[in-house]
Amino acid sequence: MTVSALEANDAKSGGGSLLSTLLLPIVLVNILVFVAPVANLAAMSFRSAAATGAMNEGFDLSTWSSLISDAYYWSMLWRTVWIGALITLVTLVLSYPLALFVSRATRAKALLIVLCISPLLISAVVRTYGWMVILGDQRFLPAVLRSFNLTPPRLINNQLGVIIGMTEILMPYMILSLLSGFGKLDATLEQAAETLGAGPFTVFRRIVLPLSMPGILLGCLLCFVLAVSSFITPKMLGGGRVALLATEIYDQAIVTLNWPVAACLSVLILIVFGTALLFYGQLSKIVE
Amino acid sequence: MYLEVESLEKRYGHLAPSVADLSFSLGQGELLGLLGPSGCGKTTTLRMISGLVQATSGKIKVGGQDVTRLPTYRRNMGVMFQSYALFPHMTIAENVAFGLQMRKIRKQDIAKRVASALAMVRLEGVADRKPRELSGGQQQRVALARALVVEPDILLLDEPLSNLDAKLRDNMRNEIREIQQRLRMTTVFVTHDQTEAMAICDRIVVMNRGKLEQIGTPLDIYERPATPMVAEFVGRINRLDGQWRNDGAIAVGDSLVRANASGGAGRVLIMIRPHRIDLEAAGEASVGSPEANVVVGTIRHINYVGDTLQYAVATAAGLLQVEKATSSATDPFQPGDSVTLRWKTRDTLTFSSEATG
Amino acid sequence: MLPKIARGVHALSIILILMFLLAPVILVFPISFSADAYVAWPPSAWSARWYVALLHNEEMVTAFRNSLLIAACVTVITLVVAMPAAVALTRWSFRGQDALISLFTAPLLLPSIVLGLAILVIFAGYGLVSSWPGVVIAHLVITLPYALRVLMTGLGTMPSFVEDAAGTLGAAPWQVFRQITLPLMTPALVASAALAFIVSFDEVVISLFIAGTQLKLLPVSLYHYVESWTDPLVAAVSALLVLGTLGIVLIVERAIGLGKAVSK
Repeated sequence: MTVSALEANDAKSGGGSLLSTLLLPIVLVNILVFVAPVANLAAMSFRSAAATGAMNEGFDLSTWSSLISDAYYWSMLWRTVWIGALITLVTLVLSYPLALFVSRATRAKALLIVLCISPLLISAVVRTYGWMVILGDQRFLPAVLRSFNLTPPRLINNQLGVIIGMTEILMPYMILSLLSGFGKLDATLEQAAETLGAGPFTVFRRIVLPLSMPGILLGCLLCFVLAVSSFITPKMLGGGRVALLATEIYDQAIVTLNWPVAACLSVLILIVFGTALLFYGQLSKIVE
Repeated sequence: MYLEVESLEKRYGHLAPSVADLSFSLGQGELLGLLGPSGCGKTTTLRMISGLVQATSGKIKVGGQDVTRLPTYRRNMGVMFQSYALFPHMTIAENVAFGLQMRKIRKQDIAKRVASALAMVRLEGVADRKPRELSGGQQQRVALARALVVEPDILLLDEPLSNLDAKLRDNMRNEIREIQQRLRMTTVFVTHDQTEAMAICDRIVVMNRGKLEQIGTPLDIYERPATPMVAEFVGRINRLDGQWRNDGAIAVGDSLVRANASGGAGRVLIMIRPHRIDLEAAGEASVGSPEANVVVGTIRHINYVGDTLQYAVATAAGLLQVEKATSSATDPFQPGDSVTLRWKTRDTLTFSSEATG
Repeated sequence: MLPKIARGVHALSIILILMFLLAPVILVFPISFSADAYVAWPPSAWSARWYVALLHNEEMVTAFRNSLLIAACVTVITLVVAMPAAVALTRWSFRGQDALISLFTAPLLLPSIVLGLAILVIFAGYGLVSSWPGVVIAHLVITLPYALRVLMTGLGTMPSFVEDAAGTLGAAPWQVFRQITLPLMTPALVASAALAFIVSFDEVVISLFIAGTQLKLLPVSLYHYVESWTDPLVAAVSALLVLGTLGIVLIVERAIGLGKAVSK
């Protein structure tokens, strides 16, 4: 090692004050907009709102207990979870072949990846509006279906609309996760299986699918978590008829102005997140 | 003949063919080497035999049956890949069992055959481990067991030793040969290493630029190379330009050289292996005989590489490389020493000049 | 080797899925040129009247200008805060480093509705709701993790021995940073700036909570407009936004190769 390299290492290990200076701004911002607000919100779930809308002094469990005893919230929680799971499944089924195709493309691979990912960069409001234009009554898809003499089902302001829109919104996330997982797929492994007598379907089932499992799990976790917490798309495509945890948080916080209930529901969403994360960890271990 | 390859050709687009007009065959139980520099088409040939690459034209027959258009998974060939290609998500036993499962063998039989295949490559204890827990040499044995357990018609080895370190490579090479002979497994072995090919192959196909240069036993290839390319590829060799004379000798520089080959006319390329040239101190030597060539020269440069000494000797015929085994009994020559070079006429290889390319 | 029919079905399904993915982004274009007073397919006539209407819609124009300004401020502050942190987190190694990185990127894992509500509750006490500083600070919660990640990846793939080499050639630490580190991390800087700008400009949930009703921001105004009107005005805005995003993507792609950056 050269002398100056040694000096450089000294500088790096000894520059504690410089290190703190470099990290100070981000630590401050992080505390201001993340740690403090989230901790405060969690604490707020243990307070209760008075009839006037103001908050009662002191901590109590009354908000939690009224929430837990209300069947409305239980059915909403259940709806949120199963719609989230369904959206995740549909997203996976649609994204997998596309991601596999993209990862194997030789020509125009970069362009294909940009095409798949760039919808992420367009505001959810714009993309959801696009679905309103496609799915709405008298609009694109019903009109096209009618021109084939088919009676279109109701595609908007119901759960079907939310599922269609959310699936498309989440596909880029799923594709990204799958692409990162396909890194493990080595073409010679498939060839080896083929030389051992495996036909195309068997190669997929025994080699490709198991090896892409980590990417699948990651994508499913990401999509489920985003599906459970998204609010704009269910609000716009559900037409107020699909009540989910996230939309309820907004209504409680902005319309009803009952912050303790909104805080409880937020903690509830975080519990759903934690559970999903636990599942993910367990499944990942099995896959390994 | 058990495996027959007839005028095989592979083209990618409008490029020059990767493999062209390639024909060879091998009998049951034979080990054939496909030898050549990288990019010579040997791996493409192997992949065409295994079905992983579709031949553009030509035929591949196994036991008289045309398999050229058969998909890989119907060909019953055992392939060992350069990277081993073990399935990382399966245990060693599952890896070896894969091919048997594809053939719908009964479960109890699979277990038995997996165990005996692992025993054959001396890897009994690792059945339940994952490939990444094994060393390179162990992974390679697993790959061999996996390829052999299905009792393939033909075993195809694609540079199987190139990822191993030198010592392991020699052991593994002999082990592969030993197993191949015990099973009488018809085998094609792709390598770019001539020592490897010579050591274990019954016959060798030397390829260059997609074409067959020579097919023959290791002895044929080494002693009677068909082309200058083969002569240069299988070992160090001196290369001199000469001119046929009417009396059957060859004029090289300011001296005459004789070869066993019957004479010709015009320009000729001659080649002599450095270790086939004897070196004596000047003066001791007698004149040339019909069986030997004698040239005098001066030592220019010496490389001492342990088991051999490599001399560069300036002679009337040109600069010649001479290689001698080192010995504690005699002192090596020094630069500037006058020496006499002597080699048998049958060690003078001649090639018509057009063949030099 | 798949049979021909299977390959045909496969290719067709790939095309259909890609169309599904891009449909909402593409279909706003024809609708934005509708001459109708409400969105319907097919439009009875074509015209650019909604683009003209957009220019005269004071709320949209103001919201657009506000969103641009906010995004610009957020981008600058994001880089100023994230760059020193990225340097510190890639060029030093200290105890608790991984925990810190997790803490800084954790906001990406939380639902933005929870973040929005949490920040609203705190900011309401300090009069920061509906204020410019409030919105800018709130946006930092989501732009910082993205920028930090991109910058750390950029710095991480850049070998530090280049910096050591500059040091052996007599460059002082500050000169090393200015002449070696900074130029080499330009692609990562461009990418993180573009990302921070787009994320801030597009953010709707946190803005809904913090911007309130007085401070107009484009995604919020669009959301409210769609709630109450059915004319194709929003399609015109959407079309322009898609084109703008496409422009940024192309610039970033030219600068650093977005496809390559993602596929790695």
